[in-house]
Amino acid sequence: MGRVLNILDYALCSLRRKLLKNVSVFAIFTLVIFLFCSFQLVSRALTEAAEQLLTTAPDITIQQMSAGRQISIASSTKMELAGIFGIKKIKERIWGYYFDESNGANYTVIGMHAPFSDSPGDRLPGLSEGRLPAPGERGKVVVSDNIRNHLQLGSRKHFSLFRPDLTQAGFETIGLFDGKLEIVTADLILMTLADARDLFAIPDKFVTDLLVYVANPNEIETIARKISLKLPGSRVITRNQILKTYKVVFNWRSGLGTICLLTALAAFVILAWDKASGLSREEMKEVGILKILGWQTGDIIFLRFCESLTVSLLAFLTGYLLAWMHIVYFDGILFRPVFLGWSVVRPVFSLAPSFSIENLLLVFCLSVVPYLCATAVPAWRAATVRADSVI
Amino acid sequence: MRPSSGLLIFFMVFFLLAGVLARSLADKRNTQEENFHTLREVVLHLGLSDLALSTEARYTRHPAISDSVVVSMDHPGAIDHFPSTFFWAPVR
Amino acid sequence: MFIDLQAVTKIYNQGQPNEVIALKTVSLAVAKGEMVCVQGPSGSGKTTLLSIIGCIFSPTSGRAAIGGKKISRLPDHFLTRYRRELIGFVFQNYNMIDHLTVLENITLPLLALGVSPSIRERKADHLLEKFGISHRKKFKVNQLSGGELQRAAIARALINDPPIIVADEPTAHLDGKLSLEVMDMLAALKEEGRTVVVASHDPIVSRHHGMAGIIEVRDGVILLNKPVG
Repeated sequence: MGRVLNILDYALCSLRRKLLKNVSVFAIFTLVIFLFCSFQLVSRALTEAAEQLLTTAPDITIQQMSAGRQISIASSTKMELAGIFGIKKIKERIWGYYFDESNGANYTVIGMHAPFSDSPGDRLPGLSEGRLPAPGERGKVVVSDNIRNHLQLGSRKHFSLFRPDLTQAGFETIGLFDGKLEIVTADLILMTLADARDLFAIPDKFVTDLLVYVANPNEIETIARKISLKLPGSRVITRNQILKTYKVVFNWRSGLGTICLLTALAAFVILAWDKASGLSREEMKEVGILKILGWQTGDIIFLRFCESLTVSLLAFLTGYLLAWMHIVYFDGILFRPVFLGWSVVRPVFSLAPSFSIENLLLVFCLSVVPYLCATAVPAWRAATVRADSVI
Repeated sequence: MRPSSGLLIFFMVFFLLAGVLARSLADKRNTQEENFHTLREVVLHLGLSDLALSTEARYTRHPAISDSVVVSMDHPGAIDHFPSTFFWAPVR
Repeated sequence: MFIDLQAVTKIYNQGQPNEVIALKTVSLAVAKGEMVCVQGPSGSGKTTLLSIIGCIFSPTSGRAAIGGKKISRLPDHFLTRYRRELIGFVFQNYNMIDHLTVLENITLPLLALGVSPSIRERKADHLLEKFGISHRKKFKVNQLSGGELQRAAIARALINDPPIIVADEPTAHLDGKLSLEVMDMLAALKEEGRTVVVASHDPIVSRHHGMAGIIEVRDGVILLNKPVG
């Protein structure tokens, strides 16, 4: 133990002597690890949010396809599915997008038959104000606070949207989604099915998708298969597929961002190799002196290992900690512009990923280990300087 | 003071900060779990399929239920150009 | 004999086109507590002889025993250990590490042994006082004069309390007065019971009253091995 501490002290003094160079390496390494970890943590926070929130997504969603594109589906399709055993309920839905030219925002419009929820009094948790449209009501909508700001409603409740023929459809906001729910409702305008049909000029008896709920969750895949056999040309999406989409979407293997950051990491390791490779005359003399004074080759290798490990481990710990602080205290502010892109409607939400030892080890293996490997051969070369080189 | 003692101090500071951070994270996750409970009900009743993260294109807003040709919806040879797809892969 | 070489040969790059026979069946014996001088021109094999005595490498053939330990054909790991235990080196160019202080340089051999900082400093203080350079303890070595440097080098050579001192041209950069001082210090080590081997062309060294014998090396062989006086 005494030997280890002595060599570690010597290594730390050696690092301190070349302070500017080592601080620069430390700073760059910390930055690369910070960016990579932040990216990983943001991805994981969103994946976990999707996994936890979308567990109540519809069991099966049915869309009609034509020429590889989605088209409207006839409401009468419900009758064709009635004979499939295990289906508990089928809901019709119109789901579309409204582009607001005045501010460049895309709103998601969802039209459904009222009552929207199965709870008594059609209460929907998550409304900070007001209520849902009642059956038969026209022109009543529930929006998010985000949309209310983009429409510049202020204290007003009425606004208009353009139909395809450029006539205006008037709406009144009777409910407001809670700000805490923006992660799913930020761009949502909820209205009745009739209003949505009118807004998008979708013919009667047509909707954009059917939501199927089954009695036994274990039967979802079986029923989905039966539906796709009964409805040729349709696209049948199960809840598992929705969840799998988000695993793939946020998987670290996909995503240009991860690839770019891994490239940066690789470039850094090559830089480290390049820096460590050159052995100056002073360094050769120092190693020769140490060896002639009784330091073993293994001691020299351990010395260089301590130098590399100190820089890389401290950078890893600092970068990792800063990444977590970036997520916990600042909600990943540096990456928000990237994953929100050019969106005009930008949801406000906070990120709280779970701590995962696998992720810590992954980042460690992708950062510290390659750095140590890159400096291993130069360290070995330094250690093989002959003792008689100083005589 | 030995230089290795300085390293020890670094680790102590690190673990102290990590402890504070862990506490903040735990509080945040508790709050998040309360919100998630409400969110799951909204998802259930409205039949939602996606998070409302990026509204710049329909396949970034609804990646789970967008058809795969939507990426090149303007032209068969059109390439994807939205910034948020730097973050995640296009719809399969 | 404390240093015993019998028919020692050292060949560099054996079997290759650039093969060099540095020592040819050299035999040498130095008793414990003796001080001897090794002389020879550049390329004579003097440095190779010193390296074998200093346990830096083993001979290619022949028997070599240093301080009672056989070093013939030993792997590097054991040689380094013996070198650490048995040999104290004093070099022509001092071979101090410039960016370290006098104290740090002197205690270098103790680091790899795991000796604690307090014990290292205590041992170093004792030697620094003995050689009259305590006041230079915290100075960087490039701030010392030649004489002070050589005294620091001798202190470093003694930090492990080795029974053998190998000095390679210890007076090369010193004037007459300082050279005599250094030789008196080495002779005092001999009086303590240590065996001292000094390589030098300097007559101040070869003619020093403490010198027991002169070994002349030329073209890899020992031409002369005679006691002084």
